[in-house]
Amino acid sequence: MVKVLKKTLYGAIIASMTFGIGSVAKAEFPEKPVEMTVLFGGTAQTIGQLLADLMSKNMDETVVPVSRNGGGGSVGYQYVHGTEPDGYNIVWNSNSISTGYHGGKMDFDYTAFAPIAKISNEVPALAVRADSGWETVADMAKAVKESGEKLKVGASGKGSFTHLTTEAVLASVGLSDMAIHVPYDRGRAPVELLAGRLDAAIQWPGQFISHHEAGTLRILCVTSAKRISQLPDVPTCAESGAEGIDIVMWRGLAAPAGTPEDVVMKLQDTAKAAAESDEFQKAAKTIGFEVDFLDHAAFADLIARDDEKISALMGELGLKQQ
Amino acid sequence: MDLLLSAAQVALSPAALLAVVLGCLLGVVFGAIPGLTFTVAMALVVPMSFSLDTAPAIGLLLGTYIGGMTGGSVSAILLGIPGTPSAAATVLDGYALTRRGKASLALGTAVVASAFGGLVSLVVMVVSVDLVARIAMQFGPAETFGLLIFGLSTICGLSQKSLTKGLIAGVLGLLIMTIGIDEMEGVQRLTFGTIVMQQGISLLVAMIALFAVPHVIDAFVQYYSNKKQLNASADVRAELPSLKDLGRDFWLMLRCAILGTGIGAIPGTGGPIAAFLAYAHAQKSSKTPEKFGKGEMAGVVAPETANNAVTGGAMIPLLSLGIPGDPATAILLSGLLIHGLIPGPMLFIQNPGEIYQIYLAIIVAYIAVVFIQLLGIRFFVQLLRVPAHLLAVGIVIMCGYGAFAIRNSVFDVVSVAILGALSYGLARVGIPLTPIILGLVLGPSIEREFRTAMILSDNNLDIFYTSIPAAFFIGLSILIVGLQVVRSMRGPFKSSMTETESDASVQPK
Repeated sequence: MVKVLKKTLYGAIIASMTFGIGSVAKAEFPEKPVEMTVLFGGTAQTIGQLLADLMSKNMDETVVPVSRNGGGGSVGYQYVHGTEPDGYNIVWNSNSISTGYHGGKMDFDYTAFAPIAKISNEVPALAVRADSGWETVADMAKAVKESGEKLKVGASGKGSFTHLTTEAVLASVGLSDMAIHVPYDRGRAPVELLAGRLDAAIQWPGQFISHHEAGTLRILCVTSAKRISQLPDVPTCAESGAEGIDIVMWRGLAAPAGTPEDVVMKLQDTAKAAAESDEFQKAAKTIGFEVDFLDHAAFADLIARDDEKISALMGELGLKQQ
Repeated sequence: MDLLLSAAQVALSPAALLAVVLGCLLGVVFGAIPGLTFTVAMALVVPMSFSLDTAPAIGLLLGTYIGGMTGGSVSAILLGIPGTPSAAATVLDGYALTRRGKASLALGTAVVASAFGGLVSLVVMVVSVDLVARIAMQFGPAETFGLLIFGLSTICGLSQKSLTKGLIAGVLGLLIMTIGIDEMEGVQRLTFGTIVMQQGISLLVAMIALFAVPHVIDAFVQYYSNKKQLNASADVRAELPSLKDLGRDFWLMLRCAILGTGIGAIPGTGGPIAAFLAYAHAQKSSKTPEKFGKGEMAGVVAPETANNAVTGGAMIPLLSLGIPGDPATAILLSGLLIHGLIPGPMLFIQNPGEIYQIYLAIIVAYIAVVFIQLLGIRFFVQLLRVPAHLLAVGIVIMCGYGAFAIRNSVFDVVSVAILGALSYGLARVGIPLTPIILGLVLGPSIEREFRTAMILSDNNLDIFYTSIPAAFFIGLSILIVGLQVVRSMRGPFKSSMTETESDASVQPK
């Protein structure tokens, strides 16, 4: 009796193993939850959580957002970089892959990841006090040059995306040597601006909008090439006097390099459905980002182009480590 | 008035009430378990709030925030391990009270003080949101630096046997927090070329290591050396504070509540700083300062009132200026944003109804928290029946899990073990742990404010004495430090303050 049982048991195990192997080859991705590493807190986390939630609704398995903050994104990138390229570990990425690599925080660059899809844009905005009398970036540049006093500009820490944006805008209006970069974290720039300790600040528009509407701060321009839907009346920086400025922070999804094509496609389609859903579009308006979907091929081009741009900019600023 | 009534209809609807109560419950549980904090709880709750209506969503988030802030006192008092960084000051006297068999009394007083602090800060917020926001706005980097230095100098007078040992401890705390990427210049500090060190030591990780690990080691050492346990474990009466007891500390509570609200309103400060300042204030203003650290109720009342008053205080810049003061309010901010509420001056004009809903949700949350905790006390104190060495096993598991949960990082778990072993060693050689905490909490803020101020002034030190608030606070700190030095030179063995039990984690012999 025991022998028979043993035999059937072995048989069952062997059978299940063969079937198991067979089913791996044929099985539809995904067979288990997909882990989405979120690199930052704040809005990046909120958008990532929402995206994961919406993607889960379009897939048999759930997408689980897991925060791995720290080191300007490098901690999370390193984690995902070290996982199997099977599509079960993806990263909610951004330009931070380029700023982090060129800033010397990681020893691998964007080529270590297979792009899945671009999801959204966030566009920095330049704000000044309403009583400054500056209506355009050109006004500001002229006034600063005439007064000879340095402009105090608030942005996040050195090498951060808003800092790079700040330097690019300043350079385009010839103020590079006429400005002091004051690093502010945790969204304090608007208050420092209101209190008069700063003359200008470049941050995400969400921090300024309420003050802009209340008439205490004025958003001079947004740094993208096109105006953004959240602020249709605010000109672009190029329109406002800072020629050639086109800087946006993109966010998207990527998997470790070597992830099979069909898995990438599956994730791309799921992400597309999530990005195009009404809920996501609505959240874009309230949180303050633009939904701008690109498929994996177009996203790959964008990342490569952007990496060159960031590398050049960081080189000019002396921030490039590698 | 119509607005208030219609807001009440929404905010007091069954769904909204349920959301607040659930949030509070979750917050209390997360706050009470050492290693898990309300910041973690809020991050978990945010996705849930996406699909809720505005009122329940706000209620859920606020409930978790408030529940967590009060819940932190539970493990601080019962186990001597703060559930959240804001409860670190509560350990000093709260745990001493437990060892004297007054655990339930301390827990009851803590929750009432918490609710009082929270509600006073709410009143301040409702009455003078604009005024407070305007005053807080005057606190730029130079002024905040002055305030923090003042805080450091006041608090340093606390519970130190020796000035040298206190200084060693304080500097250790400062050093630990420099590990990682410097947010301002983007340079790596003490990372030894690794990516994993770039994330730095999380404050929470350091807290667990400092309080929980020595406690656990102690429990095992005592068990295996067969020493008699002096733990007041048999005493689990559910004794609640009487109104008379609370009335005695009323003025202290009111002062600490206002202090907490003010600290909370200034960006760059926060709950732990407010709690320690309140504790120092309570000790200074007490008629019996020598009793502090040995189980003085005022030493529980003051920090608990202040750290909960911070919740209301932090809401002021959040709602009126759109500035989150700490990680928890940052999560709250994103929760508000997703429901289309953009904090800032326009919020009060465009969404007055939602503002009332927020106020009401806070009131409901405090009522819920008081009930949950008062009902919970009789269960919480049962924990003391568990033999210390068995409890220690549970604490190890929770702390390991909690350390991992902060950032899903194994590095944090390893850090807890290493720093924890280190702090056990420090405690054994008589280096007090409280100044380490102060270094941890204040260090990064002081550094950031100082450097920002210097950048603003183009490296000119005059920014610190040309501003009246900055000059005032820095002058006061110089005075306090001077007095302390003079006192310690004159009679190092005379001062009654030096007898104070400094170190909560080592059991009495």
